[in-house]
Amino acid sequence: MYHSNARVPGAGEKAVSACVLAVLAAVVVWLFLQQRNFDPAVTVATMGGPAAAAKAPQDLLRSWPEGISSMGAPEAFTPTSLSDKIDGKADLYLSAGFLSLASQRLKVAVGSAAWLEMFVFDMGSPSNAYSVFSSQRRPGAADAGVADYSYQAENELCLVLGRYYVELVGSERSEQVMHAAQSVAQAYAGATKVAEHADVGAEKALFPQVGLIADSIALVPSDVFGFDGLRDVFVARYREGTSELTLFAARRPSEADSAKASRDLLAFFVDDCGGKADEAPSGAGIVALEGRFEAVAAVGPYLVGVHQAPDRETALRWLGIIRSRVSGQHP
Amino acid sequence: MNPPPPNIGPAATRREFLKRGLKAGAGVAATAALGAWLLNRHPPGDFSRVVSRDARRYFGPSAPGPAMAIATGRDRAAMLQRALAAMGGMGRFITGGDKVLVKVNAAFATPAFLGATTNPELLTEIIRQCRAAGAASVVVTDNPINAPESCFELTGIGGATRAAGADLYVPGPGSFRSGTLPGGHLIRDWPVLDEPFSGITKLIGVAPVKSHHRAGASMTMKNWYGLLGGRRNQFHQDIDGIIVELAAMVRPTFVVLDGTDSMMANGPTGGSLADLKATSTLIVSTDPVAADAFGATLLERSFRDIPYLVGAAKQGLGTVDYESLHPVRVSATS
Repeated sequence: MYHSNARVPGAGEKAVSACVLAVLAAVVVWLFLQQRNFDPAVTVATMGGPAAAAKAPQDLLRSWPEGISSMGAPEAFTPTSLSDKIDGKADLYLSAGFLSLASQRLKVAVGSAAWLEMFVFDMGSPSNAYSVFSSQRRPGAADAGVADYSYQAENELCLVLGRYYVELVGSERSEQVMHAAQSVAQAYAGATKVAEHADVGAEKALFPQVGLIADSIALVPSDVFGFDGLRDVFVARYREGTSELTLFAARRPSEADSAKASRDLLAFFVDDCGGKADEAPSGAGIVALEGRFEAVAAVGPYLVGVHQAPDRETALRWLGIIRSRVSGQHP
Repeated sequence: MNPPPPNIGPAATRREFLKRGLKAGAGVAATAALGAWLLNRHPPGDFSRVVSRDARRYFGPSAPGPAMAIATGRDRAAMLQRALAAMGGMGRFITGGDKVLVKVNAAFATPAFLGATTNPELLTEIIRQCRAAGAASVVVTDNPINAPESCFELTGIGGATRAAGADLYVPGPGSFRSGTLPGGHLIRDWPVLDEPFSGITKLIGVAPVKSHHRAGASMTMKNWYGLLGGRRNQFHQDIDGIIVELAAMVRPTFVVLDGTDSMMANGPTGGSLADLKATSTLIVSTDPVAADAFGATLLERSFRDIPYLVGAAKQGLGTVDYESLHPVRVSATS
């Protein structure tokens, strides 16, 4: 059944329809072109600002030691806002598993202009916290005797307590400031309960004491020796005569993983750094690179090696030392 | 047999046509109104998106003379005086009536002695010399993302600025305009500090020598990072690229690189005096690339270790061969 008055659109109507469709198509093309040049401001909008991301915490301690008081409300930072506070150093923390930062400035004594800033980094795990602690350790700093690990430099006290890495930075170098830093550190350690403490004693024991540069053992979280495929490696620097070299050790989940890590690292030194593979003893690899020598081996689940040895013989000798120590602990 | 014609319904009367037309018009108007209501005229970063301006800031020197001076000593003011004198004096760069903008590094709310920010005593001497050369005004600024007021005050920069008779410009939401660097890949339609540049005729950059965890080093070129607004931390993904583009965006009258104490490790924030080394040097240069290439040596590195220096030199933004500028070396140790 058809309507008797049905009709076919005329040429003019068809032309108008075609124009409307053409305009709509042009709008679609315009939108497409606009979105191809993705505007950073859109990223800004989707990231959210620090105010939205950060949750204002309570004071970092419920009660401050005698004479110490807060200068204002604490600040809080998340992974997306951390660089607002510490700019380019954020990468160090982010690559080590950073979760959050709370910071607060404190007056060190009534009537004093000196102040401290307290930074509490939640790194998610004790090993992550130790990683950022050890990789920033100031040479020659004295043990502060607080929490799991700690040290005290001229105007600064740093500690690891479980998953937390804490810095107390003084506004001046003075006994008063450092006394306050010690008081706050002890109060924090006493008031903060952690599920698991940091303990890297077993890993430190892998490294021989002879020739070890004091306080040089560190856990490097990422980009070890510039290789983005190498993470969570313990390194220790040694002095032999006028030369320095670095020993390293890293536990991997299995023997297959450590063997692969060894191959990958050697390939990095050769392919990416332009080194030249040299003859090496069984189960090891040697690469000559810019006048120094890299030696790498897998011992059970451990990747071990020597970085920037001054010559081939020294590299092989130290590789033998670290291999035997790891073999002894993990036969 | 021919197919039946399509059912296009009964022919509309004029009244029906008008009613449908009005409904369609109301629908279009409602859609447009919804779009206008949802349109964010002040997007995050609080910068105008109406027009993206050319982001370049060129204030290169006009008078000829030495391009670089290297002073040694421990007294920043004395080193600046000697270095500028060796380059022809502040009068070569600043003349009567100039409106000077000094871009400091006030990125962190840390005390000056930690060396993470521009030293206030050095800033004081720069302002004093600008005034003595006849500057009509001197404005000091930076764009610390976090708590700018605290950054200016706790670094001593705010107090030094006021005490020396200059104006401190603390950026606010309306201080930025969308800018694009011609030929740039990163600085495109991005909020760039704009308002304090209004009427400015000369630009001086002053920064300390620091290691930088991401970029390798933070010196005069990295200092321009503070001209960027918005969520600029995403540029850390291409830190070398953004520093090269900033060097292309900004041509200062001259830069002052403070290597009196260089932050050898744990930069750019530092935090401990143990991070600093007395390198007892101050550089004044019309070529920021050359200044930073020399600054790299204070960090016991080569320009080759710092990719953005190599990149800037390749683009012709300056020279890493600072000796080719025949820098004037002066001592301020007496």
